[in-house]
Amino acid sequence: MAASISDRIGWRPAARDGLRRLVPLAALVGIVLTIVLLAGMGDIVLQRRVIFCLIHVVAVVGLYIFMGNSGVMNFSSAGFMAVGAYTSALLTMAPGMKSTFLPDLPAWLAAAHLSPLWGALAGGVMAGLMALVIGIPIMRLSGIGAAIATLSLMFICYIVLGNWTALTGGQQSLMGLPSYVGLWTAGLTAMVAIAVAFVYQETRGALALRGSREDEVAARGSGVRIVRERLAAFVVSGFVTGIAGVLYGHFLGTLRVESFYLDLTFLLVTMLVVGGMRSLAGAVIGAIGISILTELLRLVEVGFVLPGTSWSIATPPGLGDVALAAAMLLIILFRPQGLTGGHEIELPRSKTSTSGLATTSGNTGTANV
Amino acid sequence: MTAIAGQGGGRQGSAETLAPLLSIRGLTVRYGPITALDGLSLDVGAGQVISIVGPNGAGKSSLLAAIAGTVKPAGGQVTFKGQPTIGQPLEQTVRRGIALVPEGRHVLASLTVLENLRLGATIRRDTAEAAREIEGFFKTFPILGERRNKSAGRLSGGEQQMLVIARALLSKPTLLMLDEPSLGLAPKITDQIYAMLASIREAGVSILVVEQNAARALRVADRTYVLNGGIIRMSGTEAELSGNPDFEAAYFGLAPRGGAQ
Repeated sequence: MAASISDRIGWRPAARDGLRRLVPLAALVGIVLTIVLLAGMGDIVLQRRVIFCLIHVVAVVGLYIFMGNSGVMNFSSAGFMAVGAYTSALLTMAPGMKSTFLPDLPAWLAAAHLSPLWGALAGGVMAGLMALVIGIPIMRLSGIGAAIATLSLMFICYIVLGNWTALTGGQQSLMGLPSYVGLWTAGLTAMVAIAVAFVYQETRGALALRGSREDEVAARGSGVRIVRERLAAFVVSGFVTGIAGVLYGHFLGTLRVESFYLDLTFLLVTMLVVGGMRSLAGAVIGAIGISILTELLRLVEVGFVLPGTSWSIATPPGLGDVALAAAMLLIILFRPQGLTGGHEIELPRSKTSTSGLATTSGNTGTANV
Repeated sequence: MTAIAGQGGGRQGSAETLAPLLSIRGLTVRYGPITALDGLSLDVGAGQVISIVGPNGAGKSSLLAAIAGTVKPAGGQVTFKGQPTIGQPLEQTVRRGIALVPEGRHVLASLTVLENLRLGATIRRDTAEAAREIEGFFKTFPILGERRNKSAGRLSGGEQQMLVIARALLSKPTLLMLDEPSLGLAPKITDQIYAMLASIREAGVSILVVEQNAARALRVADRTYVLNGGIIRMSGTEAELSGNPDFEAAYFGLAPRGGAQ
């Protein structure tokens, strides 16, 4: 009852609804913009760390588009990133480079030399196509079935790319990618990815998908074609994740199939789960938060001197991975909806009235009489 | 019987004489060795309200599930607007104009009240009209209007039931099926739910409602069927059934025909 009274003395819903709806988007774009501007003042080492973080933001946002809206587990992000990265690499590398590293490439591919933008789009589209083809059979799965199927998909990508020596160089590193990704490229791409995810989640299809996440029977009873809606989200998700892979390759300038394996998969899933997989804010905050955490732990692992004292602290190697797993565990145990609790960033008034009770809403729903 | 329904039902005048809106013939549903429905037949005419009463396990929910397409019957036919519905998935049934309010108030708990309603209009293309209907609903039920941006899981049981019924109506059904709409609700709330059903019927929507609460079901329906042990034991109007000693006997499976059970 208290909530409804505060509703009445507050704003009238209809009047500011339009602008209000954009607040979550503006907040997240603002966060990314702030990070880019701050990093721009830092040194090159910091900038490289921030670029990595922004690439992870793109990848986790991509993962969120499918997993957050549908509630279906997806462990295949690393595979989509690999497909995006290699597609763009093969289409944009200088032909001379390609003939050195990949002598067995088909002639048309060896001669291809697209601009970075077209190469990047091709990488995203290729990943999206893979999502479409693979998604048709596996989108009926949910729960453990979906987890196993998507994990297998990631393994398949890894094995195929790792053994297709003519195309990827196999187990060797592929070098000589044009490294055009800087702070602003990564930052702007992250903002666009956030905007894409936001626009998608405002569509009717995404609402239908979130309905199916809550209650499959009720959603079908409203006419939701669950497999079709999931497939649409999977394709958009594949595209954005593929773009993250493109950024990754053209940031480092070299590619190794090894990079797109279990470590990356679990890093991305951890970022999303810790942030809160049911909101776009969760995806962005999780990616940034875990990036900062791993960065701090890396510093600790290397060892540093406590300011103002002569004590130096160095922890055993591997602490970073343990801390990551611990973060995941703590969140799952004590805050299963993630740091954001599945909420978007809203203006203060509605935040105070929803955040306190929201975590219990799932349980009280059926208990009331 | 047809006179009551009024204008909204479209071509109901002729529908009544030609074929009923929903026609069920010899419907049999089995779960392994258990027979839940045994050759059931009944009709729902356009604009009619039909209620099915019976105790727990009488086969009421199986009947709705078989019509909606969530259970595959062992035999029999269901025709809706002259076309068979058996074998169609649930999401297709809705598109043809049958909305189901399942037992147990399936609100989408973590979505907002408004999102729940918008989801109900998934299959519609006239988005603006649907949005107007949602606003109209919020005017009729201001409690829900105030909570439009709150998660639906925080509503009370009665409010959730109203929300689920409104969500079903937003698909613009010709036939609304409800499974135990009063289950677990206080009598006062049940009154509100049934008042809501009355106004839905005024709008020309046919209703098939399944209830344990026989008194309620009798009052709202043009015709009530008593289901027990998967067989229709008795049927009639409120006037014919209420106070009829055979009615109670049939309900509890004690009628002569049901004696074998």
